[in-house]
Amino acid sequence: MEMRVSEIDGVKKVSLLGRLDALGADVVETQFSGAIAPSGVSTIVDLSELTFLASLGVRMFISTARALSWRGAKLVMYGARPAVAEIIETMGFGDIVPLVGSEAEALALVAG
Amino acid sequence: MDEDQTRIVTQARGRDERLDERVHCLELVDGHGLVRRHLVGSAGAVVGRAAPADIILADTEVSRAHCRVALEGEGLVVSDLNSTNGTFVDGTRLTGAAFLPVGAVLRVGRVSLKHEWRTCLEVVQTDQLDRDLTRASAYVQALLPPPLVQGPIRADWLYQPSAKLGGDAFGYGPLTDDLFLAYLIDVSGHGAGAAMHSVTVMNLLRQHALPSTDMADPAQVLASLNAMFQMEQHAEMYFTMWYGVYDRRSRRLSYASAGHHPAFLVPPAGGEFTPLRTRNGLVGAVPGKVFVADTAQVPAGASLFLFSDGVFEIVTNDGQEWGLNDFLPLILKPAVDGLTTCQTIFRDVTKAARPGGFDDDFSLVVLTFD
Repeated sequence: MEMRVSEIDGVKKVSLLGRLDALGADVVETQFSGAIAPSGVSTIVDLSELTFLASLGVRMFISTARALSWRGAKLVMYGARPAVAEIIETMGFGDIVPLVGSEAEALALVAG
Repeated sequence: MDEDQTRIVTQARGRDERLDERVHCLELVDGHGLVRRHLVGSAGAVVGRAAPADIILADTEVSRAHCRVALEGEGLVVSDLNSTNGTFVDGTRLTGAAFLPVGAVLRVGRVSLKHEWRTCLEVVQTDQLDRDLTRASAYVQALLPPPLVQGPIRADWLYQPSAKLGGDAFGYGPLTDDLFLAYLIDVSGHGAGAAMHSVTVMNLLRQHALPSTDMADPAQVLASLNAMFQMEQHAEMYFTMWYGVYDRRSRRLSYASAGHHPAFLVPPAGGEFTPLRTRNGLVGAVPGKVFVADTAQVPAGASLFLFSDGVFEIVTNDGQEWGLNDFLPLILKPAVDGLTTCQTIFRDVTKAARPGGFDDDFSLVVLTFD
């Protein structure tokens, strides 16, 4: 499991690569929320290289989105592969962390 | 006074140094998900099936004295003791003595032992954590309902907590003479905290004790739980859930799911299944959320399969990740002689999964309606 952080026009971009399984969630959860929540900056999350998302990995998205929303910022995911999109759809947390298709859509959503 | 202070500091440092010392461990995750840890000291250890072996493994494929693990420098070296079935390091059979790197898996018979190099502090802490998790697991299991082997509604289940205890809980039982309820919850995260959260919810449901809530209305039940268990007041924990109420008079099942995959209704002849799911978000994540429910007719003799995602979120022996669709054919297979349906499914999933236990709790409930 790998995480990369960059910035696009004042919006933070986090890319997740590999498997976010029960083991990976333990390792990445702290890094993920630590990289995003304290800054209070709207963030887009690139899921295109995320090959697997276990339900245990979902919590970090929800906690971080809630922490951002308290500061008026947003968390938006994009580019999920079908298996990952299916988990997100089943768990129904799209109203907390929206999932869109492309980076451009994600940027538009955090700007809106 | 100064002398006393100096002495205290010296003692504390000595204790810290001991706790910082590293020890070689051979660790086994057994079928119950609990880690058994064997420390390998300077004298080394013989692994075998019976005494006088130092590490005794009750496996008929393990020889009485199978292999020796010895400390050499900072590492471990393993040598086979002419065992019948051989000794393997990361899948390769030993032909002579071989280095056992940290993280490598030593296999003897059907038992796999992972080499870890831990500080004494880690060993003490994880032993304590294991004991706490075992106690939490025992508490959850004590609250699970007994199987129903007779009567118009029969229930069977299999619950196998993972090494880290995943926060699953389930229950079923009569609500009135004609209504029968069943539910399964899966709290986010794992550990004793998730288990205790699931126990709190389970106790409310067991006692039908949700305030101002019609327990026969699944949408109301989910909404009520959502109001009571908002995650900011509960250590950032939310849960997924499936809840259903069966009316024996009309054979109608009212149900609602929240963030949870479907339960599946299988007719007595088998061969097909009907997914039962409603589109609702997670319980505890969004205040004031409205939940929706649905209904299904239950044919005579049909079975309802209700399970947590730990049942199908596995990595197989060949490294493939299973999803729900990989698991579903198993619910259509007949039970193997001598095993219940739940046991048969558990056996099949265990066979498909890579060794090392499950990442998440395995909770499977099967209800059959005459």
